[in-house]
Amino acid sequence: MSLENILENWSKYRKGHEEGGYHEYEHMWGMAIDLDKCTGCNACSVACYAENNLAVVGEEKFSKGQGMHWLRIERYWDEPDLGEDKVNEYQIHGASFIPMNCQHCNAATCEPVCPVAATYHTPDGLNAQVYNRCIGSRYCSNNCPYRLRYFNFFSYYEDSWPEPLQMQLNPDISVRDKGVMEKCTFCVQRIRTAKDDAARDDRRGPGAVKDGDLKTACQQSCATQAIFFGDLLDKDSAVSKVWEKHEVALGKSSQNKSNPDKRGYRVLEGLNTDPCVMFLERVREV
Amino acid sequence: MHTKDINENLPWSQINKDVMRSMMNPRKAYWVAIIVCIAMISCAVAAEVYQYNVGMGPANLNWPHMWDLYIATFIFWIGMSHPGTLLSAILHIIHADWRKPIYRFAEAMTTFSLMTAGLFPVIHIGRLWNMYWVLPYYSDRGIWPNFRSPLVWDAFAISTYLTSSALFLFIGMIPDLAICRDNTTGWRRKLYTILSLGWRGDDRQWRNFRRTYLLMACFLIPLAVSVHSIVSSDFAMSVMPGWHVTTFPPYFVAGALYSGCAAIMTLFICLRYFFRLEDYMTIPILVKTAKLTFAIAMVWTYLNLIEFASIWYGHNAVDKELLIAKFTGAYSPYFWMMLFIGSVVPFTLASEKLRTHLPTMLVVSLVLNLGMWLERWMIVTPTLSQGYHPFAFDVMWPSMIQWAIVFGSFGWFGLLFLIFVKVFPCVSMYEVKEMCYHRKREAMGVGHGSHAAGGAAGAVTASKTDLEGS
Amino acid sequence: MSKRRVLGLFDGFDPAFAAINDIKAGNVSGVKLDDVEVLSPIEHPDIDEVLEHRKSHVPKWTLFGALFGMIGGFLFLASAQANFLVQPQGGKPVIALPTNIVLTYEMLILSAVIFTVIAFLVTARLFRKRNPLYSEQITVDQVGIEITLDESDLAGLKESFAKHGVLEVREGAL
Repeated sequence: MSLENILENWSKYRKGHEEGGYHEYEHMWGMAIDLDKCTGCNACSVACYAENNLAVVGEEKFSKGQGMHWLRIERYWDEPDLGEDKVNEYQIHGASFIPMNCQHCNAATCEPVCPVAATYHTPDGLNAQVYNRCIGSRYCSNNCPYRLRYFNFFSYYEDSWPEPLQMQLNPDISVRDKGVMEKCTFCVQRIRTAKDDAARDDRRGPGAVKDGDLKTACQQSCATQAIFFGDLLDKDSAVSKVWEKHEVALGKSSQNKSNPDKRGYRVLEGLNTDPCVMFLERVREV
Repeated sequence: MHTKDINENLPWSQINKDVMRSMMNPRKAYWVAIIVCIAMISCAVAAEVYQYNVGMGPANLNWPHMWDLYIATFIFWIGMSHPGTLLSAILHIIHADWRKPIYRFAEAMTTFSLMTAGLFPVIHIGRLWNMYWVLPYYSDRGIWPNFRSPLVWDAFAISTYLTSSALFLFIGMIPDLAICRDNTTGWRRKLYTILSLGWRGDDRQWRNFRRTYLLMACFLIPLAVSVHSIVSSDFAMSVMPGWHVTTFPPYFVAGALYSGCAAIMTLFICLRYFFRLEDYMTIPILVKTAKLTFAIAMVWTYLNLIEFASIWYGHNAVDKELLIAKFTGAYSPYFWMMLFIGSVVPFTLASEKLRTHLPTMLVVSLVLNLGMWLERWMIVTPTLSQGYHPFAFDVMWPSMIQWAIVFGSFGWFGLLFLIFVKVFPCVSMYEVKEMCYHRKREAMGVGHGSHAAGGAAGAVTASKTDLEGS
Repeated sequence: MSKRRVLGLFDGFDPAFAAINDIKAGNVSGVKLDDVEVLSPIEHPDIDEVLEHRKSHVPKWTLFGALFGMIGGFLFLASAQANFLVQPQGGKPVIALPTNIVLTYEMLILSAVIFTVIAFLVTARLFRKRNPLYSEQITVDQVGIEITLDESDLAGLKESFAKHGVLEVREGAL
C-alpha cells in the first residue's frame, strides 16, 4: 500500500544528498583532468563524436551555437594576472585550454528542474539522460551553470551521416532525433559492458567493476594521458588517488590548500553542485 | 465627451436593451477584425507547422539560449490574466462597486489570456507530441512527472487557474445568461437556455449564488498570486544569475497586474467606442483604473530599483556583471526602453487632463503593454546570454519563426475575445442594476447593507417608480 | 384538497416585501413564510431579514473541498513520489516537501473551487424543469413572489397581493 510505504520508509525517503541520499551507490564514476598535460589537441572531442554518434552539424549551424560537442575544448586567451605587460592576441604561453564535458554533479541543478524526470541520478553516480522520456523543455540546459547540455535542434541523421557514413555509427547507443536533450554520459555503454563482463565473472554489486576495466573514449584517445577516469568509491583507483593527492573531495565546496603542488579544483564549486569531474590547474612558468 | 459617472436612474429595461444590443448584429468592422485575427493566427500556424516538422533550430535557439520569446511571451500572457482576478475578486471583496460594469470583460480577458499563455509551453518544447507527460496520470510503468520541477508546478498552477477563472467567469454570468435567454430567439435562445442552467432568480438561487461567488473570489485571490509566483519560480528556483532573485515572485505579480491593468484600459476604450457603451464604461471608471495602474507602476518601479540595489550591494561578481551587461550590453536599448516605458510613461496617468483623454489613454495603455512585454524578454534572455560560464557567453536575435508565433498569439487572443463579446454580455447587467440600486439607496440616505427596525419593507425607500420615474 | 402554485409579480422590491410582511404577520390564512419564494432580477441586500435568514450550505462544501484537496493532494504527491524511486535528483530527497507544499496548495484551491461550484449547482436547485409560471419580466425589473398553497386559501392570497399592488398573478397546478 502506498500510505504504508510512505510511513514505513519516511526517513529513508527524506534523506537528501547531504545525508548520503537515497541511493546505495554501487559506483561513483569520476574524472580528473590534468590541465598541465592538456595540449588542446581536440582528440578527446573527436573521439567523443565517433563513440557517441554525435551529429556533425556543419559550419553554419555550429557558428550559430547549435553544435553538439559533448566534450568541448574551451580556449581562454586573456590572463593579465600572469604578469605580462600587455595582453597579446596570442599569449606567450599560449592559450589556456580546458576540456569541458558533463560534470556529473551529485547535486546537479539540471536534474530537479526536468518536468518529466528524464534526467536523474543513477546508483552509479551518473547524471543520466533518458532520451525516450525527454520532451525537450530545455530547462535542464538553462539551469546548468556550465552550459554542457546540447539540444537536438534538428533531425541530423540524414545530413550528418550521408550514405555510407551511417555505417560507422556506434551500434551500442542510439542516434537521437530532434527535440531531445543530450550530453556526456561518461560513455555509459562502456560502463554497461564492463558491468556485464564483471557479472560474467561473478562479480556483482558495489565495486564489481575494477579500476582499469574500462576507459572512456576521451581518456583512451588523450595523447598526453591527461584524463583519469574511474570509481571514486574505490580508494585504490587511479582517479581516487589523484583526487586524494590534490585534496579534492566530494561533498566539499571549496579547498583551502597552502601547498602549490596541490592543484585540484572543481569548476564553479561554490554553487554547491558537487561535480564528479576534477581539474588540475596548469603549472605556469611566469 | 461624457465625464459623468454611471446614471443610477437608468431604467433597468434600458440596461438589458443596451447590453443586448452590443451583442447583436455585428457590423462590418467586426468581421474585418475577425479576418485580421485569423490572418494573424495563420502566420503563427504556418510558423509552428514548419517548426514542428523541422525542429527547434529555425527559431534560432542555440545552446546557451535554450529559451527565448516563447517563454517571455508566455509570462506576458500569464501576466495579462491577473487583473481580471484583481477586478473581479479583490475589488468584489472590498465592495468597490465601480468594478461592476467592467469586470466581466476583464474576467474574459483572464480566461483567454490563460488560453493563449497555455499554448506557449506547448509550442516551445522540442517534442510537443509528448506534452501530456507533464501531467500526473497513472501509468503501468510507474512513471510520474517530476514534481520538483517548476515546470510541473506551472502545469498545475495554470490548469488550476484556468479551471477556476473559467468557472468564476461562468458562474458570475449565469444571471446574465438568463436575461439573454429571456430576450433572444433562435440558436441564441437554445444556447442560453442550456448555459443559464435553469436560472429563475429565486431567493434560494441568489443566496447560494452570492455565497458561491464570494467563496470563489476568496480562493481566486491567493490562487492568482500563487500562479505568477510559480511562474517566477521557473526563474527564481534556478541557479542562474539574474534569475535566482528573491524578489521575483512579488516582482512578477506586480508586473502582471501592471500589464493587465493597462490591457484593461485598452479593451475598455475599444469596447466603449465600438459598442457605444458610454453610459456604462464611464470616464470615472477609466480614471479609477488609470490610478490603479499608476499605483501598480510605482510598485513595479520600486521592485526594479530594489532588485538593482540588492544586486549591487550583494556584490556577487556574476550577478553584478550581468546587471552591468543589461545596462550597457547588447540588449541595453531594450532594457532602457523597458525602464523608460515602465517607470516614466505611467506618469501620464497621474495627470488629470491626460487620463480623461481617451486617445492618449489608448496609446499609453498599448505602450505600457509593450514595455511589459519587453520586461519579460529582458528577464529571460540576458541571463542566457551571460550566465556563469564565460565560454558560453553569446548574444542571439530571435528568428522570424519566433516573431510570427508571438505575433499570431495576439490574433488568437483577439479572436477569442471578439467571439466572446458577441456571444456573451461583456457588461454584467445584473450587477450594473445592483450598482444603480445601491447608489440610489445611498443617495436617499439608506446605509449600505443596513436595515431599519420595524420590518425590512420600511427600510427600502427606493421604489421602482422612483427608479424609472426620472 | 388540491395544491395550487401562484406567482404574483410586483413592481419592485417594496410592494413585494410588503406582501411578504403581510404573510409573516399571519394576515393571509393558510400561507406560511416557509412557502414563500422570492424571484428577483438582483439580490436585495435586505432579503435575508425579510425571509428570516434562510441558510446556505455552500461554505460547508467548500471547507470539505479544501480539506480534501489538501490532504488528498499531499498524499497523492507523496505516494506517487514514493513509488517512483528513480526520482532522486539533484541531491534532493525522494519526497521533497517544499515542492509538495506548492503543489498541495494548488490542489487545495482547485478542489475547493470545484466543490464550491458543485455545491452551488446542487443547493441552488438548478437544472430543474422549467416552471410554467415563470415570467420573463423577472430578469428585467419585476419582483415575483411564488407560493404553493391549498386551493381554498387562494382567494385570500390574491386579495393580499392586490392590496400591495400586484401587477399580474399567474397560477397553475402544482
